[in-house]
Amino acid sequence: MIRRLVTGITFSLVAALPALAIEGAREVFPAPGPQAGRLVIHGATDLETMRPLILDFQQVATGVTVEFVDYVTNDLYRQAEKACAGEAESGDILLSSAVDQLVRLANDGCAQPHRSAETLTVADWANWRDEVFGFTFEPVVFVYDKRAVPVEDVPKSHEDLADLLRLKPTVYSGRIGTYDIEASGVGYLLAFYDARHAPTAYGRLIEGLSRIDTVTRCCNSEVLGEIASGRVRLAYNVLGSYAYRAASENPDLGIVVPNDYALVLSRGAMIPKDAEHPQIGKEFMNYLLSPRGREVARQKAFFFDDGKPLPPGVEGPEALMESGVGRPIRIGPALLAAQDESQRSSFIANWKHLVSGE
Amino acid sequence: MAHKGSLFSRLMWRMALLLGLGAAALITAAWFYARTAADEAYDRLLLGAAFQMSENLTVQDGVIKFDLPASAFELLGLADSDRIFYRVVTPDGKTLTGYNDLDTGVDLTAHQSQPVIGNSTYRGVDLRHVTVSRVLTQKSGVVWAHVIVAQTLESRRALAAELTTRATILVAIMCLLALAGSAIAVRYSLHPVDRLGRVLARREPQDLTPLDLDVPRELTPFVDSINRFITRLSERMTLMQRYIADSAHQIRTPLTALNAQVSLIDDEKLAPADRRHMERVRRRASELSRFTNQLLNHAMVIHRFDSVQLAPVKLNDVARKAFRAAVPMTVDPDLVVSFEASPEELMVTGDELSLREAIVNIIDNALRHGAKGRLDVKVGRDGDNGFVEVSDDGPGIPPEEWGNVVKRFYSSRSEDQVSGLGFAIAAEVALALNGRIGFREKTEERPFAIHIALPLIEGGQA
Amino acid sequence: MRIFLVEDTHDVGEAICRRFQQAGHTVDWETDGQAASDILSFTEYDLVVLDVMLPGRDGFSILKKMRQSGSGVPVLILTARSEIDDRVGALDLGADDYLVKPFDFRELEARARVLLRRRAGGEATNLITCGDVVLDLSNRSVTVGRREVQLKRREMALLEILASRPGKVFSKEELLDRLFGFDEEVGENAVELYVGRLRKKLEGATARIVTQRGIGYQLVADGA
Repeated sequence: MIRRLVTGITFSLVAALPALAIEGAREVFPAPGPQAGRLVIHGATDLETMRPLILDFQQVATGVTVEFVDYVTNDLYRQAEKACAGEAESGDILLSSAVDQLVRLANDGCAQPHRSAETLTVADWANWRDEVFGFTFEPVVFVYDKRAVPVEDVPKSHEDLADLLRLKPTVYSGRIGTYDIEASGVGYLLAFYDARHAPTAYGRLIEGLSRIDTVTRCCNSEVLGEIASGRVRLAYNVLGSYAYRAASENPDLGIVVPNDYALVLSRGAMIPKDAEHPQIGKEFMNYLLSPRGREVARQKAFFFDDGKPLPPGVEGPEALMESGVGRPIRIGPALLAAQDESQRSSFIANWKHLVSGE
Repeated sequence: MAHKGSLFSRLMWRMALLLGLGAAALITAAWFYARTAADEAYDRLLLGAAFQMSENLTVQDGVIKFDLPASAFELLGLADSDRIFYRVVTPDGKTLTGYNDLDTGVDLTAHQSQPVIGNSTYRGVDLRHVTVSRVLTQKSGVVWAHVIVAQTLESRRALAAELTTRATILVAIMCLLALAGSAIAVRYSLHPVDRLGRVLARREPQDLTPLDLDVPRELTPFVDSINRFITRLSERMTLMQRYIADSAHQIRTPLTALNAQVSLIDDEKLAPADRRHMERVRRRASELSRFTNQLLNHAMVIHRFDSVQLAPVKLNDVARKAFRAAVPMTVDPDLVVSFEASPEELMVTGDELSLREAIVNIIDNALRHGAKGRLDVKVGRDGDNGFVEVSDDGPGIPPEEWGNVVKRFYSSRSEDQVSGLGFAIAAEVALALNGRIGFREKTEERPFAIHIALPLIEGGQA
Repeated sequence: MRIFLVEDTHDVGEAICRRFQQAGHTVDWETDGQAASDILSFTEYDLVVLDVMLPGRDGFSILKKMRQSGSGVPVLILTARSEIDDRVGALDLGADDYLVKPFDFRELEARARVLLRRRAGGEATNLITCGDVVLDLSNRSVTVGRREVQLKRREMALLEILASRPGKVFSKEELLDRLFGFDEEVGENAVELYVGRLRKKLEGATARIVTQRGIGYQLVADGA
């Protein structure tokens, strides 16, 4: 009886600790060889996506024990802000698909620069100040349920999707899913860029989404889960890597790269200025940017790469960058506009009003 | 004379110093301009972004709204390695959006009619900022909002550095070219100095003719003073020679008179003791005459070498004249005196008078001290040298004395052998003409001989 | 013989006068150059002994004037200066001989004697050859092969006699007569003495003086 009480009090105490509420899963990958160092990764990426990369990295750096701490993008940002102010622990490397947040951190002076042979191979648009590097190449795609969406309905472009919503509102009401941009940093980023790069199409799409009942979820796993469960028939603005991974396990999922324009996200990596093991962080950065790392990424993690063909089963234009369809999200100070408080709040408010009806 | 280093290197060092200073000045100027240019260029970015942002300040329903233009940040992103800080301030001093603590020292309570650009520090980095005011109309009246945009300085510094580097390279190349060019020019301009030096070095030591060559204006005073010096020296020489000649006259006349008086004394009338004394007086007077002759001849001969030009001279002629002059009519009749010329004409470079004096002295010495029955003078050729050899059947001079006899005023143990200046004159003349005096020891087969050898003029056979 | 002496140093002039007078000559002595020149223009002498440095007119100009007016009188120049210009100048200007002060008075006498003899005798100046012996009467020298040998006056005279008729035997008496003058006292063996000296000087020549015992002497060329 007393034991139960103690346990219960402990649990509630633990539950009350706000610090732990931010963190997600924490997984440790012990070093395959004799331990020579420790790498702490704070990642707003799916752990399953990163797993093959981490394991392969440990084949190269056999003495490194890797600790991966999983976050949601907004939480990662807040943790990093605190670490930068000296109020919390820093990771040795930050990985996030919300590159605008990483750019904001770097602009605020929270990053340390890194230059190496591997960093020199990174494209200009994926490198800011040698502090924030984009290490992936991920088109933003539509995902649909093959069982539920007839072939003629499958939109090939944003225009097609807007038309679809206009023409068949009842069929698809409550059947379209996307990120909750208030909860998801990457979702906000993608929506912001949609509004900037193709305001007309965006406007029509938002209008369409506002008329139907759009399902919004915090994270891509949930969005994809909704499709798998059959509740949602088509998801919009999903990261291609997640979509492909889900599709490879679930053949009912179809993937379309829109052919009018396709945003391309390069996920960001950054070494915080107060990192405890910055050297190992830089080694890992080098690995991610190396040909070996990219190959592993393409085959097992992110499935897309610049200049390489679309993975099998994905519909869409080839040669995204050369054809001009691909619109890379440039990692640079322009992203700060996305991070502006007033901008952000007014954009989100507007979006929620339209899409969620709030 | 201490070596002060070459004129060329002095000029070049000064040139290099000047160019260096000039280059430094230019590079500094270039750096200033580069910085100004970079500042201007990047300031435009700042201004552009700030204006764009200030355009997007509106009043809606009495509330100030700000719609952040992403294009403003794209513009700022052209300086792609710089960090961006910004702040939009409402009329009541509150931050609408941006970095709340961004303070550029600009008075935000007043309206800034012009954009204010300046430098400041924020979060430990240096920034360049611009503050733009925007007039807005609210219900309460006209108010001002401010947009502050700031950027770090990396891009503009990089631009300034690149411009400065380029300018530096250009200036360096120019300096090197200038230096190389002036080295060549200076080298070339210094040729007259070299030439003057070579002309002077080539001169014979006794050449007292004035220098006659074209020199640039700067060297003219130099050449003029050399010529003045030469002229003065030449005049001194002439004076000296005239002095010698006059002294000779002074000395010789009383000596001749002395000889005259001595010759007038009738030995018959003297007592035997007095006769002996008389004989000694005669001998000493003769010695004195001879010695005085030698002294004055010696001085004159040596001084001739200071001023007279050497010329080709026929050895046979000179030797023959010397022979005729040296053998008096009153020579002992039992003495066989002969002269043998060389069959080929031998030419040497010399001065006829001094050479003749030298040979005369050698013959004279042989007559006085050496020859008993024979005296032979022979002219011949030995390899590249021509020689005049005087041999007699007397005892000759022993080898150990040979070094001494050519010194002045040397008197050997025996008074009969040699004394005075005769050999000294001959030796000095030989030396001055690149030749030498030599001796040959008396042996069973050959008599004692003295010779003077001189180098023949190449191919100089008349 | 009449000798004209132009010399301004008194004791030198006196000594020269005395010596010549002792030898039997008449000497006129003048100390002033200009006066001397005037005298020379109308008086004939057998020998002029001329000093160079003179008051009034210097010796060279006197000499020049003499030669210009065609006088062939032998001139012996005396000078204190021994620069070559003077020597060449003197002989070029027409002096016959040259002595440098201070000189040996016997030398002066000997040279004067030569000049007087030349004046009196009018010697021929051609060359006489016998074998490889060449007589140069003007230089008073004999060339034996390549060697020039200096001969005394009498030696020269003797050789001249012998060489004028090579092979001819000249008797001692004849030679004696021709070599020595009337009033000269000569020893018995004077000729032998001179022949001996001559033989010494002709050593190595291809012409020889051969003694013909009891008869006399002859000059013979080898091979003849």
